[in-house]
Amino acid sequence: MTVAAIRLALVLALVLAWEGAARFSNPLLSAPPSVVLPALVRVLTLDSYPELPRHLLVTAREIAIAYAMAVLAGLAIGFALGLYRTLGRAYGPILAALYAVPAVVWYPSLMLFFGLDSSSKIAFGFLLGFFPITLAVLAGIRQVSPQLVTVARAFGATPLTTFVKVMVPAMMFTLVGGLRTGLALTVIGVIVGEILGSRQGIGSLINHAYGLLRTADYVALVLVTLVLIVASDALASLVEHRAQRWSE
Amino acid sequence: MRVRALQVVSIVALVAAWEAAARLGWVDAAFVPAPSAVVHALGTIGDRALGGLGDTLAKTAIAYAIAVVLGVSLGIVVGSVRVLRDVLNPFVIAAYGIPKILILPWIILLTGFGTTPAILYGTLHATFPIMLLVIGGVRDVDRTLITVARAYGASTWQLYWKVILPAVVPSMLAGMRLGIVFCLLGVLVVEMFAGVRGMGAVMGALANGFKAPELFAATALVSAASIAIVLSLDWLNDRLSHWRDQ
Amino acid sequence: MAGALIVVDRVSKRYTTRSGVVEALRDVSLGVSEGEFCTIIGPSGCGKSTLLAMIGGLATPDDGHISVDGAAVDGPDPTRVATVFQDPGLFPWRTALENVEFGLELQGTPRAERRRIASDLLGPLGLRPFAAKYPRELSGGMRQRVAIARALALDTKIVLMDEPFGALDEQTRVLMGEWLLEIWRRTRKTVIFVTHSLQEAVSLSTRVAVMTARPGRVKLVLDLPMDYPRAIESPEIVALRAKLWGEIREESLRAIAEST
Repeated sequence: MTVAAIRLALVLALVLAWEGAARFSNPLLSAPPSVVLPALVRVLTLDSYPELPRHLLVTAREIAIAYAMAVLAGLAIGFALGLYRTLGRAYGPILAALYAVPAVVWYPSLMLFFGLDSSSKIAFGFLLGFFPITLAVLAGIRQVSPQLVTVARAFGATPLTTFVKVMVPAMMFTLVGGLRTGLALTVIGVIVGEILGSRQGIGSLINHAYGLLRTADYVALVLVTLVLIVASDALASLVEHRAQRWSE
Repeated sequence: MRVRALQVVSIVALVAAWEAAARLGWVDAAFVPAPSAVVHALGTIGDRALGGLGDTLAKTAIAYAIAVVLGVSLGIVVGSVRVLRDVLNPFVIAAYGIPKILILPWIILLTGFGTTPAILYGTLHATFPIMLLVIGGVRDVDRTLITVARAYGASTWQLYWKVILPAVVPSMLAGMRLGIVFCLLGVLVVEMFAGVRGMGAVMGALANGFKAPELFAATALVSAASIAIVLSLDWLNDRLSHWRDQ
Repeated sequence: MAGALIVVDRVSKRYTTRSGVVEALRDVSLGVSEGEFCTIIGPSGCGKSTLLAMIGGLATPDDGHISVDGAAVDGPDPTRVATVFQDPGLFPWRTALENVEFGLELQGTPRAERRRIASDLLGPLGLRPFAAKYPRELSGGMRQRVAIARALALDTKIVLMDEPFGALDEQTRVLMGEWLLEIWRRTRKTVIFVTHSLQEAVSLSTRVAVMTARPGRVKLVLDLPMDYPRAIESPEIVALRAKLWGEIREESLRAIAEST
């Protein structure tokens, strides 16, 4: 209650400070909220960027494809490495080492290979989303208590039944956490890709606004993007909480 | 032993298949150069790549040092004051989670093309994961240990220095391990987006010039450096946390 | 009670929880003289740990007052009182020896001296070979012995023990009790010992205070003048144990009835 009030006050103070600071600096470099707000209205009414929906759709499509691929590959490889111990011990460390490389180093190669269009963004989003999902599957399998598996076997469960009725529910908590992180990172990957170089998508609009020094439009577009990202994450968190409801 | 053999065999097989595919023209060598071409390219771009890498790592080191100091100190303050923690935690999570690339153009507008935006952006990337983990670490310090310290007459300073700080070390190191990768990422992104120097700029130029073998060689070099840094942090982690389980 | 080392005088304590105000202790009075081994026993939730925390200065009474060695208690005073908790609360990043040194370190005792004191304590406790081990490498019984050594290292007149053996298995408990008794008889410290165990109460104490169910009050205080070591099957001890059980059973039944 009071915590929420303090948070609100903090946000308001930040907005006011932004207004104060931005008013007295170079208008090319910073736009105060009072200027951004009308710009935001023009963006939302499709006045300044009539093509906005199309660009958003391009980005959404890239994210959807990249995420679907990341989920499929992440689950398949995660389970393969987690359930077959030799495979896991051989390739797990290689995977972990690759995860220690900042993903953006792969981006120039992807751009060279796939070009400036959607496919390079999809590939990059896939790459970012794939790792947390795979690692969550591996961690989830490690967390399944051997006791539960023993109980299932004592009750006569086949390996398949054990997998479906015991392993998957027991690792669900970690798994959905990984799926949510994977989505967040896929979104970041696609947007980073678009901003580093693209002709379509919300990232290209942001770049365009920034390139022309239309700072208010740039901030407005960033706000729209942030709202969409937060909304997608909120949706994912809703799904996550449903799947995790048995644990506190 | 079997595991080691499997690793070696698969890597050798992969490289051989790749080499064959490139030589036999199954893949376009202009985009996927043969491993032999990449090794050769490593020689030709040697000086330029090493110079770029050195430049990148120097910026990363500065950004990382700032981020560790900021992340740890802010994390301990926010983590130990209940009100601050309740109010600020969601903001820190948000700052950690949102794609910071969105404000990169603005950072460039403010600070220009050069070293400053790279350091600023690297710091921005690394501070929040460190802070977040330190906040969690301080919050989760075993209450019993704090009660014991109080019963044994610890002053506030002693409580922090002898109980909370050591208890937070594992979370701090976990944050620092996450942070270094993010930090390097941040610096490279700035160099790719608006760099005139550094490995990111070198790689961007190679990609734009369609110099695939050189680009692959540069990518391998940065990756190796990054893995080496993370492994040495892991080693440090093992040394400092030998009191923990496993 | 006037000449007692520890004086608890008409102390009450209330807690505010989400479901309302809970009265933990009401009007508790107790005096413990120097050199006594006083056990406090009572049903779960009767506030025995709260009482101990207040004597140790970790909590403050709402009414009444507590004095130790003639001075009112306000906050922990590790020069007079050392506490052992049920959870040993060892610092996981310190070795057994470093854990024992903790209190002295806080008081600024020079390194060499505190190391000597700690090492001297570890020997008789059978911990010498484990001095350099971390808590995770020690068994539950050993951890609790390190925690007791940490308290003894302060060399205070008074040692408070809050169910120190509560988490240990039966055999270990009995052995730890014998071992504690030996230390107490050698050092003649004043001990207040909170427990659930009748066995511990009758074999260790010079005095037993039985507490009522919540709100906790002192129901009766029994003197146990028998010599040590006590044979648990002797008629005297068996009778005493039965009497204590009679008193506590009634309170425990009330506590269970109230909690459901």
